Amino acid sequence: MEHFREPVKTDCEELLARFQATESVRYEQFLEIWRDMNFSSIYYGKPEPSERRRFARLILSVVSPYFFPPYTFQIRVGGLFLLYGLFNSQLVTPREKIRVSLKDWKDVMQFQRDAVNAQHYDVVYIFRKLLTDKAFYFTAMPIPLFYREKKEDGRKMKICEEFVDPSSRPQELVTTDMLEEIANIHEHYEGLKKSVFAEPDPNLDLIQKNLVPKLNGAILTYSNWQWNRTESEQQDDEEGPSNQESSRRAQLLASIKSRSYGQAVEASKSRRHRQTQLVPAAEAEFSLKVTPKKKRKPSLKTRTQYRFNTQGNESEGLNVTRVWCMSAVKEEKAPEKRKKKFNWNPEKSSDPT
Amino acid sequence: MAEGSVLMHEDEQHENVPAFEFVNVNSTEFHIGTFRDLWLEVLNPEVYSHCATAPEVEDVEFIEEMGIEPKTLEELKHICGADSLKRGHEDPDSLPSDPHLSTLKLRKRRQDYKETLTRDTLDRHEVYANELEMISVGKKPESPGDLIPEGEMVLTFNIMYPVLFQRFKRVRAFQTVHVLGSQRLTELRDAICCVSDLQVFGEFSSTPDMVPQFISKDHYKSAFFFFNGTFFNDTRFPECRDISETTREWARSRGFPHFRTAKMEDASFYDLRMKVGFPYYYTHQGDCEHVLILTDIRLVHQDDCLDVKLYPLITHKHRVVTRKCSVCHLYISRWITSSDALAPTDPCLFCDQCFRMFHYDDEGNKLGDFLAYAYVDPGTFN
Repeated sequence: MEHFREPVKTDCEELLARFQATESVRYEQFLEIWRDMNFSSIYYGKPEPSERRRFARLILSVVSPYFFPPYTFQIRVGGLFLLYGLFNSQLVTPREKIRVSLKDWKDVMQFQRDAVNAQHYDVVYIFRKLLTDKAFYFTAMPIPLFYREKKEDGRKMKICEEFVDPSSRPQELVTTDMLEEIANIHEHYEGLKKSVFAEPDPNLDLIQKNLVPKLNGAILTYSNWQWNRTESEQQDDEEGPSNQESSRRAQLLASIKSRSYGQAVEASKSRRHRQTQLVPAAEAEFSLKVTPKKKRKPSLKTRTQYRFNTQGNESEGLNVTRVWCMSAVKEEKAPEKRKKKFNWNPEKSSDPT
Repeated sequence: MAEGSVLMHEDEQHENVPAFEFVNVNSTEFHIGTFRDLWLEVLNPEVYSHCATAPEVEDVEFIEEMGIEPKTLEELKHICGADSLKRGHEDPDSLPSDPHLSTLKLRKRRQDYKETLTRDTLDRHEVYANELEMISVGKKPESPGDLIPEGEMVLTFNIMYPVLFQRFKRVRAFQTVHVLGSQRLTELRDAICCVSDLQVFGEFSSTPDMVPQFISKDHYKSAFFFFNGTFFNDTRFPECRDISETTREWARSRGFPHFRTAKMEDASFYDLRMKVGFPYYYTHQGDCEHVLILTDIRLVHQDDCLDVKLYPLITHKHRVVTRKCSVCHLYISRWITSSDALAPTDPCLFCDQCFRMFHYDDEGNKLGDFLAYAYVDPGTFN
């Protein structure tokens, strides 16, 4: 079931990206995309026993993070709609529930307040509908934890960058509280200096007098610049000059690199026998990719069979009794053709050969 | 002073909101009872109650809170209804022939592959698993007194089997048990089934009909849980001994911090401080050691099994291939013999019938020289 995590994620992110592109939080818009993608068909297929339940559990656990921060309000609305759609179109009874942890609950409540204040009636209605449908499990942790082995399987939450507001670390760092604090300290510092020296000593002017306004100004300029830049980047996404410029620069860098690696350093005479050789880049990459396949020990069954086969050959022909069971072997089974195992990742393993 | 106590209260609250200690591995430690109170504090009782609120009441509340016209609500209901999610009448069993969702592409490939295999559609284990599920799904108690109170916590434990057998070395065999927060630790202990509780000691080759019905569970009743620095000993019966003493003695002589002890039957899960996803310990029969993990804690839900009598509820069991009698290959072994001149191997397994036919004459006299012991198959719980 874990193998479905990646494709499910891709599908959900595609839906959310399309929803983001509409720049709206209306349920009608969402519904249109949902129906266009025929998203409820994600549950379809001939079920293996209990597979449907496990799949429903998986998909709800994949989607629910989009309902929580750090995603933007719009994506969280999309996440809520998606949860609503998935919860209602699942094919198992009783329906699988959406897990909410205590820590996330206050974010959910804040989200609801925001939606009420902004008068997004459809958002509030859908959230309340989920609550009255008893669609939530109120849990300690967002996922059940059972000490699974650490494998890189995409279970680690990778945050989809496009759905998050552009980060603004400098702004986060320089808050009004912080500025006030600095102003206070600065004042204190100046006072201290005055009390120590009767007249101001120019050697002690190590810190600019108007520190706080300057700091504030710098942050403002920075955020303005950042905003302008994202704007302009969005505008000339395709044929903008900055884009071309950067690609030209990238090409230049690449050519420099290739030239510098293209010259094999000639070894000194004493090491002539171990002359360096050039390996084309592509090939080198390839050799890295092919990791030595783990050699599996044959299963206990095959090992035992092998052992008894060799023993049997030594003593007699076919007509041996198996030592570990007392009846004679009725018919020797023809060695079965080994079944090909299902390949979950065709792209990965069928690499350039 | 008052401020101080408020601060204390907030601290306590914060401490008992579980968060990840290591991401996706385990949570921080928290007090389960307080954690439950925190949930109940922030939730509207309707949200976790067992019965649904009437839709009319719900509507009126919504209109009042949002300050909208009833007409607007009707419109909302029309737009947001769940029926509009489906597109026409499609058969949920069949996949679209040309799917565009990547999940469906993978499932289609997998299904196409599955069709190339020849397999029985339902194997025996699936049947058992279904039976197990049928016992509990959506069960309502017969008498209202057995109804689980609203706002109760359900804890899920995974109990690993010890690596007694070589074949358990590569799989993590476990059983999953749901318990209620108000239940005692002893109730969990009684729900854990392990073959080592069922062993019969003694050699019975001369008196095969005299196998006593006492199993080790009745002889050796001591057991302990080790949760978070405390040994919880089972002291319900006079013959119970504190088997954690050896461990504590050892720890003391090695300079470990002091471990506390408590009585298992006095503690309910609400009294415990635990970490979700963290391995804990259960030992019984002297040295049969199980790792147990608290995988999940949540409020009880309307759709859960609501009969108190069915808890602790086993929801998953690892199924073991049973060892069959070496004569008939049909029945599960009941006897194990050693130094048996008649048997092909030493030790050798027999079912009850084959054992008697093979080792005794018609009058029930022992033939040949051998030692016979009762054998309990690890698959007995299947």
